[in-house]
Amino acid sequence: MADRVAAPRAGRRAWSLEALFLSPTLLFAAFILVPLVALAVRGWQDGEVAERLASPFVLHALRLSIVTSTLSLALALIFGVPAAYLLARSRFPGHRLLTILVELPMVLPPTVAGVALLVAFGRRGAIGSTLSSMGLELSFTTAAVVLAQLFVSAPFLVRSLQAGFEAIDPTYEDVSRTLGVSDWRTFWRVTLPLAWPSLLSGAVLCWTRALSELGATLIFAGNFEGRTQTMPLAIITAFESRAGLSGAIALSLVLLAVAFLLLVLARVSRGRSRGDVS
Amino acid sequence: MITVDIQKRLGTFQLDVQFDADRETVVLFGRSGSGKSRSLAAISGLMRPDSGRIVVGGEVVFDSTSGVNLPPQQRSLGYLFQQIGLFPHMTVDQNIGYPLGGWERTARTRRVEDLKGLLRIEDLGARYPDQMSGGQQQRVALARALARPVRALLLDEPFSALDEALRADLRAELIRLRGDLDVPIVCVTHDLREAHLLADRIAVVEEGRVLQFAPRTDVFQRPASRRVAELTGVGNIFQARGLGGTQVEIGGHSFEVDAPVEAGLLVDVAIRAERCLLRRVDPAAAPPANCFVAEIVAELAFGNSYTIRLQATGPGPLVDIEIASHPYEVLGVATRKQWVVELPAADLHVMRRAE
Repeated sequence: MADRVAAPRAGRRAWSLEALFLSPTLLFAAFILVPLVALAVRGWQDGEVAERLASPFVLHALRLSIVTSTLSLALALIFGVPAAYLLARSRFPGHRLLTILVELPMVLPPTVAGVALLVAFGRRGAIGSTLSSMGLELSFTTAAVVLAQLFVSAPFLVRSLQAGFEAIDPTYEDVSRTLGVSDWRTFWRVTLPLAWPSLLSGAVLCWTRALSELGATLIFAGNFEGRTQTMPLAIITAFESRAGLSGAIALSLVLLAVAFLLLVLARVSRGRSRGDVS
Repeated sequence: MITVDIQKRLGTFQLDVQFDADRETVVLFGRSGSGKSRSLAAISGLMRPDSGRIVVGGEVVFDSTSGVNLPPQQRSLGYLFQQIGLFPHMTVDQNIGYPLGGWERTARTRRVEDLKGLLRIEDLGARYPDQMSGGQQQRVALARALARPVRALLLDEPFSALDEALRADLRAELIRLRGDLDVPIVCVTHDLREAHLLADRIAVVEEGRVLQFAPRTDVFQRPASRRVAELTGVGNIFQARGLGGTQVEIGGHSFEVDAPVEAGLLVDVAIRAERCLLRRVDPAAAPPANCFVAEIVAELAFGNSYTIRLQATGPGPLVDIEIASHPYEVLGVATRKQWVVELPAADLHVMRRAE
């Protein structure tokens, strides 16, 4: 605003640019909003949403989705936080390779991930056959669902958190060390709290990606109700069944609500945290 | 007591510094990039020297020959960073109490209260760093650095982030605290006045080397070399030729200096601008020893002082003289064009040239 007063000419130009960009922006927003509203309206018209959602078929899928996506988030945190810190703070041989490797699942079609997982951990897979001989079956189990979700969703956490760590002035860590505080404690008391906003947004991205995982799960874990049939798989199943679109709509509304809630929660808590690095 | 003798190669830059500090304040003075801050980083343990030895309070914290290299956590030093570095997600109380993690709760609270009292920041306990001025932040950082018992205090440009008023305030604070702390203080600065104000001894650092390490008056009035004289803003550096004994010739005029110079030897002679005198002597009479007649050719007003440039009318050099504003104005120095200038023998300092 102050710029506009100080430089009216540049201000006018910026304003006309804003006007020019307004219509594409509004169209884009509408493009996202219209299907979502249509979904909600159609669900309302169909009625019986609550009854449909109360069916064991849906409850199983919902419970499985929440359990597996939470588990994959937990695993992503256990492995992803150290990985993100190392990638951000140290330079070692293979650093670049590791960075690319971590990002690869983000651009890989999930079905490819599913096939790859099956080839590696499937009953006759490279590692899977060894596990199988030890009596451990991975493919087509709930564990496979978690692995598939972890594979495609963990990179979102690592990427976000790595950027967060990189944005922290290393002086804070140096200060902490000269104050006699161990590196381990410094990480928990200084580094991680300062990276909190990135951790949070990374975790939300990771979790929602796990929640929406379909392709890799379908191939590596299959579609068994109560065992590997998560919400997205249930939607496909409902869509192809007698219930058809109506069943799919009811399930979709649940996922939409969960995703929306997560995003809002993340925004709110992010606004409250003091992550300002200056 | 701190003893430092370290070498470190950083690309094309070679750090090679030696100094020590007893229960006193030693200032590492030099321009930015001279290696002063890196010396502090080496003492603190954040940077590992290639070779050398660092002893703090009788304990060897680094010694390349015996392979000793204590991590920063075990060196028990208070280190005040140029960037201040208060943790933005913690309140003042949490910041100060941060190094006291292992302390019992009530002892910790009491220690935090004591430190806040010492630095006069009692009312700021609940504030976050972004809710305070730079001066307040620096006080909190100092309190935090002193929370644990420390064997020495390292200050890296501690006042550079502050405006002039706050700087003066905090310098006074530091001078007040110095007596109570009773530990060596090593302070890095590029500010000449600050160096003189705080230092017992000054190490003049340039391009990774200590050019002179001496009590502050010696560094200011008896610079070891032409370069030190330039860095410490001496004001007047003359080329001179020895005449035997303590007599030298400057600009065709003979002067007595503070040390004997062999006849015919070329040396540099320095005198600080504020050490030169204007004398009420009749310019027409024969001038006393070390005096010459000169007239004002330029005048620079710095607010609290004036610097006038005088050119000898007969034999003698071009000289800058600094005079405090009040006497300058009361005496009406500028209203008289010709003056007799005295360069006192005790302040005319001889510097031998490097071979």
